[in-house]
Amino acid sequence: MLIFFQIEAHDDAIWTAAWGKSEADGSETIITGSLDDLVKVWKWSDEKLELLWTLEGHQLGVVSVDISHNGAIAASSSLDAHIRLWDLESGKQIKSMDAGPVDAWAVAFSPDSKYVATGSHLGKVNIFGVESGKKEYSLDTRGKFILSIAYSPDGKYLASGAIDGIINIFDIATGKLLHTLEGHAMPIRSLTFSPDSQLLVTASDDGYIKIYDVQHANLAGTLSGHGSWVLNVAFSPDHTHFVSSSSDKSVKVWDAGSRACINTFFDHQDQVWCVKYNSNGSKIVSAGDDRAIHIYDCPL
Amino acid sequence: MASFGWKRKIGERVSKSVVEQFEAEEERSEGNSEVDRDEEVDWLHAIKRKKEILLEDCAAKSMRLKEEGTRLAEEGRHWEAIKKWDEAIQLTPDNSLLYEMKSQVLTILHEVFPAVKAAELAVKFKPLFWEGWQTLGRAQLNLGEVDLAVRSFQIAIHLCPSERSLWQEDLKWAWTLQKQQLATKEKIRQEEETKKQILNAPELEQDYDFESDEVLAACVAVAERQTHYEELRRTSVVIDAEGNVRSVVSGEEGSQDADTPAKEEFVKARGL
Repeated sequence: MLIFFQIEAHDDAIWTAAWGKSEADGSETIITGSLDDLVKVWKWSDEKLELLWTLEGHQLGVVSVDISHNGAIAASSSLDAHIRLWDLESGKQIKSMDAGPVDAWAVAFSPDSKYVATGSHLGKVNIFGVESGKKEYSLDTRGKFILSIAYSPDGKYLASGAIDGIINIFDIATGKLLHTLEGHAMPIRSLTFSPDSQLLVTASDDGYIKIYDVQHANLAGTLSGHGSWVLNVAFSPDHTHFVSSSSDKSVKVWDAGSRACINTFFDHQDQVWCVKYNSNGSKIVSAGDDRAIHIYDCPL
Repeated sequence: MASFGWKRKIGERVSKSVVEQFEAEEERSEGNSEVDRDEEVDWLHAIKRKKEILLEDCAAKSMRLKEEGTRLAEEGRHWEAIKKWDEAIQLTPDNSLLYEMKSQVLTILHEVFPAVKAAELAVKFKPLFWEGWQTLGRAQLNLGEVDLAVRSFQIAIHLCPSERSLWQEDLKWAWTLQKQQLATKEKIRQEEETKKQILNAPELEQDYDFESDEVLAACVAVAERQTHYEELRRTSVVIDAEGNVRSVVSGEEGSQDADTPAKEEFVKARGL
């Protein structure tokens, strides 16, 4: 159920969003990144959004944002190939890292929040140190442009989705490539691990969502329902649901056990580029080309 | 006074080729209906079926016209190609590929505004069509709409980031132009400020008591403003290696003549 929406949250299309919770004071923060070059920090309290900071610095559209697991730092990447780290309490930029041309796309914090991973056009996953602000090491898929990245919550695996539809799963401890999955024939815009790190859900331009068993690299299910590209997926912390968004303007909530779509939200006017759960899985945020941020209630 | 209104011609919005197609269908089906006039005719379904046939034929004919247009365009017969595609658009008005190709050819013909219009329709009907956004960006650039072009290229890249030409040719070039435009604007702003500085001289308008220190203070103020003016005049706006806009005070050559106008200014103050 749609419980809140913020229209004209940005001056142009919203491409990315993240929902974080501060470990220090328990406050909930949503950040959004847009084609208008800005990152906005919103506070979610009393069932409404309040603009906390407008973070300026990126010179081209913001492609991806993430919040560290302690809720203190945000990372953002943009088409100007810079990854910026921001202090969410003060709204100040901590670091700006030049990833090199075309080498910053999706960003993801490691579960210990010490690293930020990003994909690159040559199929390398570059890992930047949050403390050092430098590239620490990289994992090579020997593949194509990496569009999406996800750390498993237990910190063991890192999955990347490429523009040619190939999924790679790395063992972080050894840096070895564990599995290569040829699941989709089209770009993989998003992937997400289940909270127990056993399942990997992928979203692709072919309109399908696929579920993989991470350990054995088996395909556990293929889900159809969206009428166009699936742009984003996010697993619920309650372990039983995940949510997807699509360029068909809809947001769908799925049951992970039965693999059935249990709810469809048709509230956006345009493509929905991102969906995220809050920390306990009771709410969903979505945003897209219509410049609006929507918050949904999902009964547990 | 006679009121002004747009004249609406009857049938203006009805496409000629669709009408022809429809009439041809009509004739054919009339021939059929004469045959089975004696029998009971299910009119409801007959009409429905006719519509389906018409739709299918539109798509097929549009496809044929598109290919004819492509051949013409490849031979350099651009206007003829556009004519073919326009006919095809009449038959299938939501085929974004037709608009995109039309826009490219219009760009070749230096029809900059119609090119933008056509490309806008291409992305309107198919927002996920990155080539459409690329074509739109290029058309906007030709029109001098640098900001809009940068936006279109960014959307194209967001849809298909692995396309190197978008990064290395389109966005890079448009972004450089955007920064140069910003630099020019900044320079104009500075020049205007300079003009204002020299025209407004509030201390010159005051009635001074020549015995007091006020005169001295006014002269100092005038001199200070003069230096600031010279500085502004010598400032040039440049784009540095990283592409950021900066103001730079150019060399020493300004320092010599800085003294002379300052003296004139003192003379002026005394003259009052």
